[in-house]
Amino acid sequence: MISVIGYYTTQFGELWDKSLSDLIKEVILGVLRNTGLDKKQIDAIFFANMLAGVLENNLHTPSKIAEILGVNVPIFRVEAACASGGVAFSLANNYLEAYSDKTILVIGAEKMTDYSPEETTSALASAASGEEQEAGLTFPGLYALMANYYLQKYKYTEENLAHVSYKNHYHGSLNDKAHFRKIISVEQVMQSPYVAYPLKVLDCCSTSDGASAVVLTNLHSLKNKTKKTVEVLASEVATDSISLKERNRIDEILATKIAGDKAFVKSKIRRKDIKVAEVHDCFSIAELLAMEDLGFWKKGEGGKRIKELQTMYGSNGDLMVNTSGGLKASGHPVGATGIKQIGEIFLQLTGQAKNRQVKKAKFGLAHNVGGSGGTAVVTILGA
Amino acid sequence: MTKVEDMISPVKIWRRQKEIRGLLSKTGSIITWTLIYVSGKDFKKYAPFPVVMVEFENGKKAVGQLVDYSKEDLKIGGKVISVLRKVRESKAEDVIPYGLKFRPLI
Repeated sequence: MISVIGYYTTQFGELWDKSLSDLIKEVILGVLRNTGLDKKQIDAIFFANMLAGVLENNLHTPSKIAEILGVNVPIFRVEAACASGGVAFSLANNYLEAYSDKTILVIGAEKMTDYSPEETTSALASAASGEEQEAGLTFPGLYALMANYYLQKYKYTEENLAHVSYKNHYHGSLNDKAHFRKIISVEQVMQSPYVAYPLKVLDCCSTSDGASAVVLTNLHSLKNKTKKTVEVLASEVATDSISLKERNRIDEILATKIAGDKAFVKSKIRRKDIKVAEVHDCFSIAELLAMEDLGFWKKGEGGKRIKELQTMYGSNGDLMVNTSGGLKASGHPVGATGIKQIGEIFLQLTGQAKNRQVKKAKFGLAHNVGGSGGTAVVTILGA
Repeated sequence: MTKVEDMISPVKIWRRQKEIRGLLSKTGSIITWTLIYVSGKDFKKYAPFPVVMVEFENGKKAVGQLVDYSKEDLKIGGKVISVLRKVRESKAEDVIPYGLKFRPLI
């Protein structure tokens, strides 16, 4: 049995006084303090980060982490664009399936706000295909291509999409670690300027600084003496063509579907057992596609279902989605996001989610996507 | 001195030309499109600019900017033809990066 036994996240936001190393140091010390562990008890570290190599000429971070922590254990850096965190977690889980009696730190961190929007946009575009980059496509642009297609095919409007941001900003207002804690209205989303038609500023997640970490263990004695733990029931990765044009469908993220189906089969959990989920809402359209591709909603229903706001905290729905605020309001420090999602599910399943605590949640799901759908990770946790 | 990351690599352009050659003067229809307002740094000068995903008559797909267009041309199902155009800004001494774009088929 593999368990998550602790979580810590830094504030997400524009953290001008903190470097990538500062964020990593804070999150390591934070998660060790939360779990009462000594660094000598950590057998390996998985570290997720996307942009440090591109933006700040900063690679070989594993060795930097060894210096920060003063250890000599194996440390692995994982890069899978915005799915770096989820993939790092999945790899750590695999590591524990291969080795017994080990305790692992999984860290995600990203420093994004030292750069101009054009520099960060270009750096993020490194996760798109060469042809897409040559066409001047940005990530909002790629998701805008999907959104435009989806809206026309299923006869929805931009107002349907706006409800995703409305809901997730409300959730963000309940999360003291979120980048944006301001409640916004559907009208405000509609009135925000376009980034890539039909997506507007308030349809898009932000670039943020932040770091998150969880501790995973299969050491029974440690698990047994830890009060708040959740079990990893499945953590599955799937990939697909990097180019949007090479995919079978424009209104589906196939990698999500494959990873989701595998995770549900492996965990033996039914979709209706999931009471809380963090899904990858880098753009409003992405949450609708995620809900459909994970099998919670039927294909094409998303535009209608989101307007019913049954996945919003406080509604009488059966499944609350993105209680952390999602990428939209919580912020999106790329490498940290996948870990924060798992951390949020950990908080929910262990009754530590305070003013956004979902009641009677025994099972939760985290869904993390890289690029425009080239990688997807689905993790199912159980209390 | 020009920083390495600012220089457009001639060898990359040369390699890309071999693929682009086969994609020119082909007609197809727009599967989906967007209008990019916030661009990457090499494209800032052109923003806002439309990008279309096109399905050629042989079923192959490509993405590229739409040029010489009017607002009515931005529609799913619209007919376009592929053309060779300068695709990004370059420095005075760089190779001019030509690549794939589309224009509406009249």
